[in-house]
Amino acid sequence: MNTVVEVLSPGFILRDALIASVLVGLVCPLVGVYFVLRRMIFLGVALPQLAAAGIAFSLLMHRMFVGPHPHGGASDAMMARLGATAFTLGGILLLALLERRGREFVEARIGMTFAIAGALTILFLAADPWGEAHIVNLLKGELLAATETSVVFLAAVLSAVVIALIAFQKEFLLVSFDHDLAVVFGKRTTFWDALLYLLCGVTISFGVLAAGPLVTFGFLLAPPLAARQMTRRMVTFSVVSSAIGGVTAFVGFCAAYRYDMPLGPTEVAISAGVVLLVSAGDWLRRALAPHPA
Amino acid sequence: MCLLRLRDVSLGYGNRPVLEHVDLELARGEFLALLGPNGAGKTTLLRGIVGLLAPTAGSIEYELDRRASPLGYVPQRETLDPAFPLTVFEVVLMGTYARLSAWRRAGAHQHRVARHALELVGLPALADQRFADLSGGQTQRVLIARALAAEPSLLVLDEPTAGIDADATAAIMGVLSRLNRDDGLTVLLVTHQVRVLQGVVKAVVWVQDGGAARGGLEETLARHTMAAVL
Repeated sequence: MNTVVEVLSPGFILRDALIASVLVGLVCPLVGVYFVLRRMIFLGVALPQLAAAGIAFSLLMHRMFVGPHPHGGASDAMMARLGATAFTLGGILLLALLERRGREFVEARIGMTFAIAGALTILFLAADPWGEAHIVNLLKGELLAATETSVVFLAAVLSAVVIALIAFQKEFLLVSFDHDLAVVFGKRTTFWDALLYLLCGVTISFGVLAAGPLVTFGFLLAPPLAARQMTRRMVTFSVVSSAIGGVTAFVGFCAAYRYDMPLGPTEVAISAGVVLLVSAGDWLRRALAPHPA
Repeated sequence: MCLLRLRDVSLGYGNRPVLEHVDLELARGEFLALLGPNGAGKTTLLRGIVGLLAPTAGSIEYELDRRASPLGYVPQRETLDPAFPLTVFEVVLMGTYARLSAWRRAGAHQHRVARHALELVGLPALADQRFADLSGGQTQRVLIARALAAEPSLLVLDEPTAGIDADATAAIMGVLSRLNRDDGLTVLLVTHQVRVLQGVVKAVVWVQDGGAARGGLEETLARHTMAAVL
């Protein structure tokens, strides 16, 4: 209890990190629901890895063409954002384009993307020994190093994502649930698919920069997987997913702070715990429900 | 008045033609069925008519403005993913999106239209039920309600009675027959179950060997049954 009071006090030294963590926890599940429903879960692994490759690539380019990048500089963060966003969006649009050509090999393509992105990340790191340690920190996500400026920027971008998701919820639902019907209704399905992918890409790239690929992937999938077992409407599914993500991030932060544990893995472990708990509850409910004669 | 006109239409996938030189007219208020053996191209023709497949040659003309007077489309129900957490009402409400622009949300009018559509198919009591939990026949009727919520001038159905029991089939055909007879709704459906058409449909289009020919139900069936026997 003391930890919660301390964490919530206005002068808390890691306040920016806490806000960044909760923001990622709240917003990642909102795009994650579409990953789960459109059965693109593996994309949730591959895209954060692509964002990581983008960060490593942009810093390597800076090193090669501009010069050594100073640790913690503003240009550092901007380059990383640029690289993460470009690689994520490029990857997601390419995969979406290939998906239209045939669904048979979707998993294989996403698997290959993950493998290639992972390999590229390591290769880019190896080619940039000067900043390797610093880049490794960036790739892990620097939640604890979040500043007021970076949190404001993160909040602005993620707010824009949330507004777009709410404003165009019916279009995103229609193209996701019944793509053919959207075509029959004369909706611009390619545009809405592309916009949804864009929102996913932006959320993931900023999530990876703030919290790292592991935490981003965890928040993309674990809250929607738990919420799906508790809800029966699309709106409540999204709201409950986001709430689980936000609460999990807060509890994870408090636990990591209290017991001096690494933040990202703690948050992911707690998310997984929530999924297990909800699954067990659901199993119990079904087991105890009266069976029809 | 002619509602839909196909002129010398060819349809296919990639370099593989399925149907060639199809001419077809559908009059307003008509109830027409596309019949034929499995794999003959019935669904391909239907996909061309609703705009899911572009013709490789010829033209498909819809006499009304598709925005002002959208099509009601009922797909084969297996194409819809039960993983989506949606109630029956939410699914039916989707039909009203046909007339809503991107910035407009479904309001009181759209909710009324969706509820009325559910009443038309006799399932208002299932509004809050999970869509994924419905039986095959109920799912099909909900999808018909969704198509009706678009307030269409033409209702197009792809195998609406496939894989469902006799009672549910009778209920579905009863709903379609009533909508056609009482409300003047034009209906076009694909089926391979000839029995369900008796007493409901007068004209059919027989699809076979890359072509499509229109005729009366009884004479078309007699001709093709005879051809199969011979």
